[in-house]
Amino acid sequence: MKSRPSMLFIARGFLLALVLLMPACGAIPATEVPPGEQTGNLTVLDWAGYDAEDFWVDFKNTYPNVTVNFEIGSSDADIYSKMKAGDQADIFHPYTGWLQFYVDEGLVQEIDTSKLSNWDKVPENFKKIGQINGKQYFIPWDWGFTSILYRTDKIPEGVDSWAALMDPKYKGHISMWDDGPGAVTISSYIHGYDETAVTADQLASIQDEWIKQRDLNLFYWAGEPELVEGMKSGDVWAAYAWQGAYATLLADGVPVAYANPKEGRNSWVGVYGIRKGSKNYDLALKFLDQKLGEATGNNVVNLFYYGDANQNVMKGITDETLKKAFSVDDPEILNKTNFTPNLTAEQRDAWTAMWAEVKAAP
Amino acid sequence: MGGGQSRTVTAPAPTQSSPKFAEFGGGALKGRRGIDRRVTFWFIYLPPLFWLIAFLVMPVLLMAAFSFRPDMHGDLFQIWTPTLSQYASIAATGSYWRLLGISTLTALGIGCSAVLLAYPLAYFLAFRAGARAGLYLILLLIPFWTSYLLRIMAWKILLGTEGVINSFLIYIGLIQEPLTALLYNRTAVLLTLIYVWIPFAILPILAALQRIDLVLFEAASDLGARPFHQFMRITLPLSAPGILAAFFMVFIPTVGEYVTPLLVGGSRGFLYGNIIQDFFTKAANWPLGSALSMIMLAATLILVALATRLIDWRQLFQ
Repeated sequence: MKSRPSMLFIARGFLLALVLLMPACGAIPATEVPPGEQTGNLTVLDWAGYDAEDFWVDFKNTYPNVTVNFEIGSSDADIYSKMKAGDQADIFHPYTGWLQFYVDEGLVQEIDTSKLSNWDKVPENFKKIGQINGKQYFIPWDWGFTSILYRTDKIPEGVDSWAALMDPKYKGHISMWDDGPGAVTISSYIHGYDETAVTADQLASIQDEWIKQRDLNLFYWAGEPELVEGMKSGDVWAAYAWQGAYATLLADGVPVAYANPKEGRNSWVGVYGIRKGSKNYDLALKFLDQKLGEATGNNVVNLFYYGDANQNVMKGITDETLKKAFSVDDPEILNKTNFTPNLTAEQRDAWTAMWAEVKAAP
Repeated sequence: MGGGQSRTVTAPAPTQSSPKFAEFGGGALKGRRGIDRRVTFWFIYLPPLFWLIAFLVMPVLLMAAFSFRPDMHGDLFQIWTPTLSQYASIAATGSYWRLLGISTLTALGIGCSAVLLAYPLAYFLAFRAGARAGLYLILLLIPFWTSYLLRIMAWKILLGTEGVINSFLIYIGLIQEPLTALLYNRTAVLLTLIYVWIPFAILPILAALQRIDLVLFEAASDLGARPFHQFMRITLPLSAPGILAAFFMVFIPTVGEYVTPLLVGGSRGFLYGNIIQDFFTKAANWPLGSALSMIMLAATLILVALATRLIDWRQLFQ
């Protein structure tokens, strides 16, 4: 049997621990640790592919001694479910339409934008997207369009409306994204409904519309590669698509065009939020600041064909295909674009149930 | 199975090995035997028991609890007032019930087809393949070495409009335009799933066939039974448990299948499992998804119970 340690021994040990810990916790607020010497751990809940170093290269280079771990979510619903189930990630990456719930359920912490050196490079309309109830809860990062992508050899007359996705002329050659809110959005554009206030009657007629559309639809695509494959093989002529698919097909020499529908294109924005209760808030802010860096942004544009919230990155695009994909030369394009509004939990439940009933319908 | 064997002439396996067990069991340590047994019992059964309770029973119970939750508001594990609202909204949606019916029928069809197609192969392996049986079995299991997803993608290449089948038919001049009916419908789901399940269905049937004592066939021949008669009176009844096991092994997971319909089913090939999956992964609506799962679980259990209760399988083959 060992004897119990004396009080003095404990006190001495305690003092020693205190002395050792002091520089670790006390020094940060007083004098900033040089980035190169900053250590720590960050966990990011992100989408597959974004864990690649290309998409956080500025942070990696500035803070080489910070370990960044990634968890992967497969969809907005998946990321939301994980966060709701108590995921301990410091940072997470939802898209427009899925922001309100994080605030309502107290899962996200307000962003102190005064600590972001790259914040002034983000255009005002993008900043607004991350604001909920008047507070900046998210920083915008990647964005892109949704429009109708079509094969110019199969549809030589072109496409000028979202209604093309319901045109019987293209029966068996249309592909819609597998998503209820996406379907409600399109129907709202076509019929001029207020997307943020769709009534029960309107939702019922939207459901009927998409049940009819199902007989024209070849398959609902879940991931972009699936859609790209379908368009390349010639099975799909017109599809709901993001500009990434457009750029990929253009680069492959497939005859495709990306419509400018009279109802306007749709645009979505990916944002980053910091989990409420994260012990690494300051480090997380640094990570988000570096996320807006130009090297990172250039990789988003060049590797994923997504837009970046840093406007210097977008102004610097020289590649013709990408210029076309983002309509960089059309100064009016963003004014003609409908940004995805935020959904309430009730809207989400109603719209996703509507879509399930479309798929289950006889 | 036990009942079936007790009526046979010999029961060679147990009598041969039982003396060995007696040697181990009847040693000098008689007093400690009880404790040893208990220790052994917990040592052997505790890990799998823990596994099943933690990762099967608990999730199912949690899901059952979630199905009585009104919505996703608030903490996941807070106390909520149980409500039947999820079940009520499902009850009011006829298309879900219809899809459950379709999925059950589809699973029934796939189960029967897979068993019918697997039986001759299992029979061949058990009685005709001889020394090469092991090799054939390995060949049969080769598809398992590649990912499930990859095999389904291969079917897309086979059935697509520019796929192998269409290209071949156009090449030999049988058709001018590619057949679009091959892929992206429920038939494609059916074809693909039957293919996927055949190797699985073979294993339990093969195991049952291999247990049949060959002496029985000799006796039957001596008594003048023709091969067909032998098959109907010996092989089929004695392999019935294997057939049943194979059928349920295919049927039960197929009722909830969702991956294959997603990949080859197109807009109209969805099954009930897809709806459940959507509520969990696309809608973040766990209460409704849980309620749909509970209904499927209940439906499957009822069907299996009915099948094992109502049909006296041994009588069927007498």
